[in-house]
This record gives sequence, structure tokens and C-alpha cells, in this order.
Amino acid sequence: MSENPKAPGNPDAPESCEKCEVGRRDFLNEISFGALAVAGLGSAVVSYQYFSPNVLFEPPTKFRAGSPDLYPVDSVTYLQDQLVYIMRSAAGFWAVSAVCTHLGCITAWHPETNLIQCPCHGSKFKQDGVKVAGPAPRPLPHFSITLSPDGELVVDKLETVQPSQVLKV
Amino acid sequence: MSEKNKYEAGFGSHALKNPQRIVFTTKKTSAKVQDVAEPKVMAYPHLLMREAIVFQVIVAMLVVVSLLWDAPLEQLANPLLTPNPAKAPWYFLGLQELLHYFPPLVAGVIIPTLVVLALIVIPYFNVNINGAPLWAAKRIGALQGFVAVLVALVVVLGIYDAWTVLVPTALIGGLAVYSYFFEPEVGGWKGYLRGRPVSWWVMTWFIAVSIVLTLVGTFFRGPGWSWVWPWRPYGA
Amino acid sequence: MATLPALIERVRQTQAWKSVFRRGPARSNRTRSLAVFGNLFLHYLPVKVRERALRVRATYYLGSISLILFLVLSITGIFLMFYYHPAVPQAYRDIKDLQFVVSNGVFLRNAHRLAAHLMVLLVFAHMFHVFYRGGYKPPHEFNWVVGVILLLVTLFLSYTGYLLPWDQLAFWAITVGTNIISSMPVVGGRVRFLLLGGNLVGENALLRFYVLHCVILPLVAVWFIAVHFWRIQKDGGLTVKDTDERKE
Repeated sequence: MSENPKAPGNPDAPESCEKCEVGRRDFLNEISFGALAVAGLGSAVVSYQYFSPNVLFEPPTKFRAGSPDLYPVDSVTYLQDQLVYIMRSAAGFWAVSAVCTHLGCITAWHPETNLIQCPCHGSKFKQDGVKVAGPAPRPLPHFSITLSPDGELVVDKLETVQPSQVLKV
Repeated sequence: MSEKNKYEAGFGSHALKNPQRIVFTTKKTSAKVQDVAEPKVMAYPHLLMREAIVFQVIVAMLVVVSLLWDAPLEQLANPLLTPNPAKAPWYFLGLQELLHYFPPLVAGVIIPTLVVLALIVIPYFNVNINGAPLWAAKRIGALQGFVAVLVALVVVLGIYDAWTVLVPTALIGGLAVYSYFFEPEVGGWKGYLRGRPVSWWVMTWFIAVSIVLTLVGTFFRGPGWSWVWPWRPYGA
Repeated sequence: MATLPALIERVRQTQAWKSVFRRGPARSNRTRSLAVFGNLFLHYLPVKVRERALRVRATYYLGSISLILFLVLSITGIFLMFYYHPAVPQAYRDIKDLQFVVSNGVFLRNAHRLAAHLMVLLVFAHMFHVFYRGGYKPPHEFNWVVGVILLLVTLFLSYTGYLLPWDQLAFWAITVGTNIISSMPVVGGRVRFLLLGGNLVGENALLRFYVLHCVILPLVAVWFIAVHFWRIQKDGGLTVKDTDERKE
């Protein structure tokens, strides 16, 4: 529309008000719709808060993986309860997530191919978590692995680290 | 007024050709739609009786099959162990097959959203409402454009190695190209294909891809989403 | 001793019967019309239908069958609810009980599952059939959109029901499916968290899917089904094509 319908020259324009003040009816309409909008927005926020649980009874994310001596050099150990692989090479220890980055299926270590394989959509990963085949968008994350004061491995699944970080014991 | 008059006076009753019309009536006549007289029957009992029969047949069939065929129930859910293969319900297996080829954002979000949006907007495109055939004008330029799009699509699918999408796409696309060379007067299936509009071709392509993906996902995928033959059971 | 037809006729003459069905027996076109538009459950139908619209090839009864399956699912679903607790791992035990302990429980579960899969199939078939007949064209465009919404509701109903047995099949189908949601940009993670009521598919997720499956989605479905049927009549009846030759 190029023409302004409220321009003074336009005969179709509604009767223009003096200085275009807001009429009583318009004012009440705006107040009503404004109140409805505020109430609706408030309900949405309150509902969102209500539906987001504040306390979750999910398994803890930090766990002790026992003494380093349990893991031989050049080995891959799958901790089924924690869904984590503990890898050990001559360089040291690192922990790799066993949950596929594609859609959350649990991967399995295949020693015959030296690959971590996902059963759902066929993604394959190397021992360091790097993807070699399949649809997974990211490599498997590495979790922080530290040594507790009493000499046990501690893995924190909330803290991801660079793949280059290994724990030397 | 300098602007050209946008309205034309005339007679017409074709609702598809002139979807927006203004009716002028004189004082002597009233506006009315001329209904094509065609045989009608009372909904009660003719329609209701048919619905009742369909209801009885469907329920009877459901009862018989339910008595003979037990619903599967696997082990208790175990968050630590993924069954191999882990399959979604059959109607999502086409999507799962796509997820095997494309990143989740593309296969899981963008493609389904586009499909749903496309389905919703179908009736709001009033182009070609008479259903003119795809090759109505038989312009060589249209054919070249179509082939270019088809080849680009096939190449992209080939790059992603998504050949279960590629095969039905190439088949339906090839058939559409092939139909260009049919004479409009030809009868039989050739004439039928020659007369199909572009919307028909797009929907047929969509259905063909969906059916192939769903069948492949249901019967031809085994451990690690590898290709298996349904008559050779795995995991035994 | 009165014969059965005579007995029925006597009942029809009573004041109680006449207070329910005000019209007389549906033997004239007038009372047949009254039977349709004087009835809450039939008034969405037209009084008269075109003969061409009654031909099997006009619908293959795909929409009717979808509705019938929805009714069957409502009834069998309510029956199943009497023995089901949406809790981990009680849900799985309840399904086992339905299979092996509850009388006819296995039959009800089979019927519910079969009807659910058939309904998804039939709704898809209905949509494709309507498309190929051009049934989406004006003035039916809004009803087509309602149909697309109903397709999505059907899929979501079936999918939420898939988790309820809490077996391996259910758990991993939902894990994979909800991880697809989290690949949505920006909001994906939050949406998944809200849907599952947590980060994992667990107790909260089962309860949420149960409420969606048994309360919210059926209500949405009933609402849109009502609009869908109502609009068929308001938009001028089923699409008939010139190629549907008339019955002789």
C-alpha cells in the first residue's frame, strides 16, 4: 500500500480525531488486551517453571573407578554401571563416554576391530573417541579423570576435557 | 483515476477459475448458486447403514486378529544396555533410516518440519488449481530445469551415500522425465502419466521415498543398522 | 403374550420413550431428517448426501475407519487403565499381569496395540487418498490443515503410548526419539528436558507420557475430530469428481 488511508486528502479515511487522541473505547480495549497478554505471559512462565523439576533423582555423575592397578596397560575397560570406557595406554589413563553422540544409544567395544560401535545407526569410533564412520555429529567426549588422595581413579561425567589430556600415574 | 480498472464485468460460474468474485443482482432476481442437480439420498438410513456395516466389519476383524496375534513384550527397560538393533515404531523407521545418512539436525528436525509445513501450505497455493499437466506447454527449457534439479538432488544423495533415498527419487524423477516424450493423445498409463500435474509428481515422490525407507528400516536393517535379508534371521 | 415387534411398538408409544426420541418412527423423509439433525451425535451429517459421495471409491471409508479405530482405542485404553500404574518398574509388571494374570487382559492389550498401528496406517492412507482426489482444494483448505494436525496428534498419541509398557523396545525408542528433539537448535535441550521431566528417560518421563497419552492428546484429538467432521458439511460435503460416474 503506497497511499496512507488516514492522509487528509483521502476521502475514505475515517473521521480523523483531534490530535489523534485515544478514545475511551480504544483505551479500554487496549487495557483489556494488555491485561490478557500479561496474564497469558505470566501463566506461561509459571507453567514453564512448574513443569521444570527442581530436584531430580538421577544417578550421580561423579564416581570412583577403583585403583589404577585394576587396568592393564593397553586395555579398554567398559564400566557398564557408569556407561564409561576407561582406556589405558603407555601414556596414561583417559575416560571416554559410552553414550553415542548421535542419539544416545549405548555403544559397545569391539576388540576384533579396535573400534567402538553404536548399534542404533552404525556409527564407529576409534579408541580416542574420534568418529571413523556413521552419522554421529561429534566425537565421543572425554571425561575428567583424576586421582583421589587415597590413590583411586575418580571420573566426573559432568566435566569434559580435551582428548589430549591423559592422566599419568 | 490513472490506475487501470482492476475489475472486469462478465459472466462466469467456474469457482476454480475465478475464486474471488463479486455478484451484482438486480432488484428482480436474487443471488443464488446454481446447483447441479444430481441424485441425492437420505443420510438416514443410506449413509448410516453403510457406516454401521463398516464398523461391524472392522471390529470383527480386530477381534479375530487380536485373539490370534499377541503383542510383543520384551525385557524390562534397561538404560545400561541398548538392544541391537534398537528400532523405533514402524512409522518412524523412515526417519531412522534418514538419521543413518544425515546429521540429526537435518534428518530429525529440518526434513520433518519442512514436510509438515509443505503439507499445511498445499491448499493455500492457488497455482495450477485446474491441475494442468507438468509438461502442458512442452517447453524444452522446463525439461532442462527439471533434469538439472533432479541431477543435483541425486548427486547430493550420492555424496551422502543415501542410496535408499536415491533409488526411488531417481525412479520417480526418471518416470517424470520420460513422460515428457509421450504424446498427449496417447492412451493407457502413458496418457495417464502425461496428464499428471507437478503436485502429483511431488506427492508420489514423497510417498515412494517414505514407503521404501519404511520397508527398508523394518525388514532390511539388522545389528548396527547394517543391511540384512529378512529371510535370514540374525542374532540366532 | 405379545410378539417382539408388538412389544417394541408398545415401548415406543410410552411417554418415557417419546421424551427421549421426540420424532416418530423414521419411515418418512421428514422423520428421517429429524433423526439426523435432532440428534447430537448425528447432527454433523447432512440430511441428504450425493449418491456419488457414497460410492466406495469416493472415500474407501478411510476416514470412517480412522474414527472407528479411535473409538475402539478409547474403549480398550480405558479398560487397560484399570490395571496400569505409571511407575517404574511397576508399569512393566502391570503389563505382565495383563498378559498372564488378568482375565482377557492379553486380548485387550492386543486389540489396543493393533488398532493403534492400524489407525496410524489408515490416517496416512486417508491423507494420501484425499490428496490424490484433490480434496484439499478450496473450499476445503482449512479442513486439510485440521487433517494434518490430526495426523500429527495420531502419531504423537501412538508414540507416547509406545513408552508405557516400559520394556526395552519402549525405552530405547523413546531415548532415540527424544534425542532427535534435542538436536533442534537453541531450544532442543530445554524441550527434551520438559518432555522427559529430567535428563534421562525415567519415572518422570513415564508419568508425563502417561498423562499426555491418556488425557491431553485424546482431548486434543476429540476436539479436532469434531471440527474436522463439522467442516466437511460446512464446506459443502465431500469432494466428488466428474469421473465418479453416477450410479445407474
